[in-house]
Amino acid sequence: MSELTSSPYFGVALSVIAFAIGVKLQQKLKTPVCNPLIIAILLVVGVLLIFKIPYESYYEGGKVIDMFLAPATACLAVAIYSKLKILKEYWFPILVGCTAGSAASMASVYGLCRLFGLDESLTISLIPKSVTTPIAVSVAEPNGGVVPVTVVAVIFTGILGGIFAPLLIRLLRIKDPVAAGLAIGASSHAVGTSKAVELGETEGAMSGLAIGICGIITVIFSMFIY
Amino acid sequence: MKIIRQIGIIFAICWFSEVIESVLPFSFPASVTGMILLFICLAAGILKIEHVQEKAGFLLENMAFFFIPAGVSIINYFGILKHSAVQIVIICIISTIITFTVTAYSVMLTVRWMNRRKQHE
Repeated sequence: MSELTSSPYFGVALSVIAFAIGVKLQQKLKTPVCNPLIIAILLVVGVLLIFKIPYESYYEGGKVIDMFLAPATACLAVAIYSKLKILKEYWFPILVGCTAGSAASMASVYGLCRLFGLDESLTISLIPKSVTTPIAVSVAEPNGGVVPVTVVAVIFTGILGGIFAPLLIRLLRIKDPVAAGLAIGASSHAVGTSKAVELGETEGAMSGLAIGICGIITVIFSMFIY
Repeated sequence: MKIIRQIGIIFAICWFSEVIESVLPFSFPASVTGMILLFICLAAGILKIEHVQEKAGFLLENMAFFFIPAGVSIINYFGILKHSAVQIVIICIISTIITFTVTAYSVMLTVRWMNRRKQHE
């Protein structure tokens, strides 16, 4: 059995099937709680545990998928470039908002981790949790963070953003779509952005821009912290 | 051929970013360097959006899929997480609300300040 599951095709096929089930479930249930990535991770973990397949076997295929992470991050540039017009028009509020948001996110996570007495490696894993997964991982990993903790925290934060955004917009009386979009993107990256797109075109574009810009700002901040 | 060329362009940029990462005196993630390089290439007109559109669309639309292996490796860390799961959940909730509020208000204040300056002119 172990010779069969350690083929790279096994890990890739299992991941694709699990993700397809996740996407289908989300389309059916239409709630941000059913994030396809979370569902896929749970399904794969379940299969590995039930059939006692070692993670190393699965990772033979996982490595192949991992290879696409850096190219996917690079392609965020295409998403920013396609919004160049709106970026030029609002560059100043975007820069101020993303800088303040990234700083608030990192500082609040750090403070809360201290408050709850979490250890160094968990704190480092959580600090970049508001930015998009590839950037969060590349901030946490070289500094001694636990990558899967970062990944799960990032996704969870995204889901929270999707749920809280409409409530917070009402509660804080945010009438400006630029402010609403940037706040969603800065606090909950791509998962939140899918919610922002539902709220309106400006919200969606701003939220999408905030993903890349907060990512870069977070990387720059992290260079000074560690 | 079109898709192969697009894959080639993007992978070449990623490889070049890794080269840059290895020579930089400080640590800056290669994936983010790749993003900045690709943006510069597009903005400077070295690359046209048509040169990367399909491949970028494929990667961006399926972004979540590529994180499955990273997420699944949580299986190796159940021990650490068991003790701190509740704290992590609370930290995520509070800091998400703080980040949202700070971003929204700083943007609104900036926009208001800019409008006031415009009126003065």
